[in-house]
Amino acid sequence: MKNKLRENIISITISLILTLFITSVIILLIGKNPFDIFGIIISEVFGSGYGLGQALFKATPLIITGSALAICFHASLFNIGAEGQLNLGAFVMSLAAFYFSALPAYLLFPVVIILGFAVSAFWGYIPAIIKIKKGVSEVITTIMMNFIAMALINFLLIEFFAVKSTVRTEKIADWIMIPKLSAYFQFFQGSSVNLTFFIALALAFAVYFMLYKTKFGYYIKAVGFNETAAKYIGIKNNRIMLLSFLIGSGLTSLVGLNFVLGYKGYYEFGFSNNLGFTAIAVALLAKNNPIGIIFTSLLFGMLDYGGLTVNTVIPKEIMFVVQAVVILSILSVDKIVNNYFQSKD
Amino acid sequence: MDIFGYIISLSFLAQVLRLFTPYYLGASAANFSERGGVINIAIEGFMITSAFCYALFAVLTGNVLLSLFLAVTINILFSLLYSAFTIKLKINQIVTGVGFNLLMAGLAKFIMMLIFRSSSNTPRIESLPHIPFIADMPGIGKVLADYIIIFTFLLVPISQYLIYKTKFGLRLRSAGENPAAAESLGVNVRNYKLYGVMLSGFLSALAGIWLASNQNSFSDGMIAGRGYIAIAAMIIGKWKPWNIFWACIMFAAFEAFEISLQISGINFPSQLLQMLPYLITVLVLIGFIGKTKPPAADGIPY
Repeated sequence: MKNKLRENIISITISLILTLFITSVIILLIGKNPFDIFGIIISEVFGSGYGLGQALFKATPLIITGSALAICFHASLFNIGAEGQLNLGAFVMSLAAFYFSALPAYLLFPVVIILGFAVSAFWGYIPAIIKIKKGVSEVITTIMMNFIAMALINFLLIEFFAVKSTVRTEKIADWIMIPKLSAYFQFFQGSSVNLTFFIALALAFAVYFMLYKTKFGYYIKAVGFNETAAKYIGIKNNRIMLLSFLIGSGLTSLVGLNFVLGYKGYYEFGFSNNLGFTAIAVALLAKNNPIGIIFTSLLFGMLDYGGLTVNTVIPKEIMFVVQAVVILSILSVDKIVNNYFQSKD
Repeated sequence: MDIFGYIISLSFLAQVLRLFTPYYLGASAANFSERGGVINIAIEGFMITSAFCYALFAVLTGNVLLSLFLAVTINILFSLLYSAFTIKLKINQIVTGVGFNLLMAGLAKFIMMLIFRSSSNTPRIESLPHIPFIADMPGIGKVLADYIIIFTFLLVPISQYLIYKTKFGLRLRSAGENPAAAESLGVNVRNYKLYGVMLSGFLSALAGIWLASNQNSFSDGMIAGRGYIAIAAMIIGKWKPWNIFWACIMFAAFEAFEISLQISGINFPSQLLQMLPYLITVLVLIGFIGKTKPPAADGIPY
């Protein structure tokens, strides 16, 4: 166990250095000085409350989706369907918040969250049940469900719910909006970071507790580690798989709190911008440990906002490349480090 | 416009043939990889890379054949990198695929912004040359006079023959079905997996290049999930070249129908039609429409 931790720290460190190196080479190739670029990013992100707030705001949905996916990944379920799940959840949340605004707050928020969760969980239920009943890998079904979800939302928006000549829903009432952090701390003035950030942190800790401190979490990991062995010690594999898929996909809906209730006040088609896939990277980099996911999400959030700050010097699109390089480095370095320690033992 | 008259017209057929081409090339790319036991969900990314590289070099050099060659080469280099991850290091193929998709889409966006200062599209480029005498034929001659379209049609019997009738095909299949048994008979399993992935890189390159050439530019989002539809076609086609052919024709016909509905101004929600390929795939996977079974060792590193 201790060795595992050492290996993880070594491989994460090496892959971050490798990413930094590759990024520097790309920046050099364009004829810019990487230290200047990194300097701008760091001073912009940490130099002002606004910059820091924006980085936290970008990190929030990653913490939520990353932690949610970690549950699936611990059960060895490759949920590639977060993109569709979270979009449906956020979409339904925006509708619920708009149409049920007559409800008192203590009823409205639970209704909004439960409906969002239920729809996202249902979208995860389909591939889960197909896997359990038919033995079909969840990978392809979740990918297909992503496209079906997006087409469905697009259809519902255009036919019924969109504000004329836009791809967004009606704006919800102001009193339903989740307060921005700047309402409490002058420091974050102007930034979109809102209370959802703390909800995301709480979620990460809760998922951590569930995975590492409860019997249920132990079962999830047992099923993920060795299905046959898990069955022989009396774990109901199918139930555990189904539950982890339901909880994992359901929780992705909470990104709606950040974007719909905490920021725009409506659902907008395309808001997620590959969040469901970036979150896979975030979870992977943290070895599916929710506490680690907080840190990797903050790193990615920083990159996301940092990209905008250097946009005048270098296209912000470089951050897409950097994030992908992070994934591929951690995958390869991790394997090489693993092989190295295995050959030493 | 009379929709039903249109569907039986030559221009509808021409439209289907054009939409069919990138689907079949992509599906065939996915199939060769999976026949060797390596899942490649990065077909989308490979198509983006080749489409972008083709457009990039066509703008920079003005020579479409050179651009074609360079785009194919770059895609094959990427497929070698993909092999290094999945075959050499035996890293999980799904996660690698997700990473490659993000990398390739990101690189195209980044370099396009860097060189053309545009987040939407490259400048206009020339199409690939047409086959001279066929182009003069009336009706669908214009569509058939395309080297890549002709190649795609020939690819169906060629891959059928290659997979089922040659030593190469037998060994490739053995690598995907039962690598341990193949190895014990002296087949270099890893090499065959590598060939499968390289073929995948080559064919997906043609798909991307054709799309860019046909559209006379590369634009962000132009691949629009075609790589995934191609994978869906491969699944519905049960990993068999002729079945995949029919699956691709079906998807192409849906899309052509959808486009014609839009042009005709008939008020029908086109999103529901866009959903069809994916929905049918899920239904096929569930077993509602026939049974489908991947190669036995598909996705398992060896």
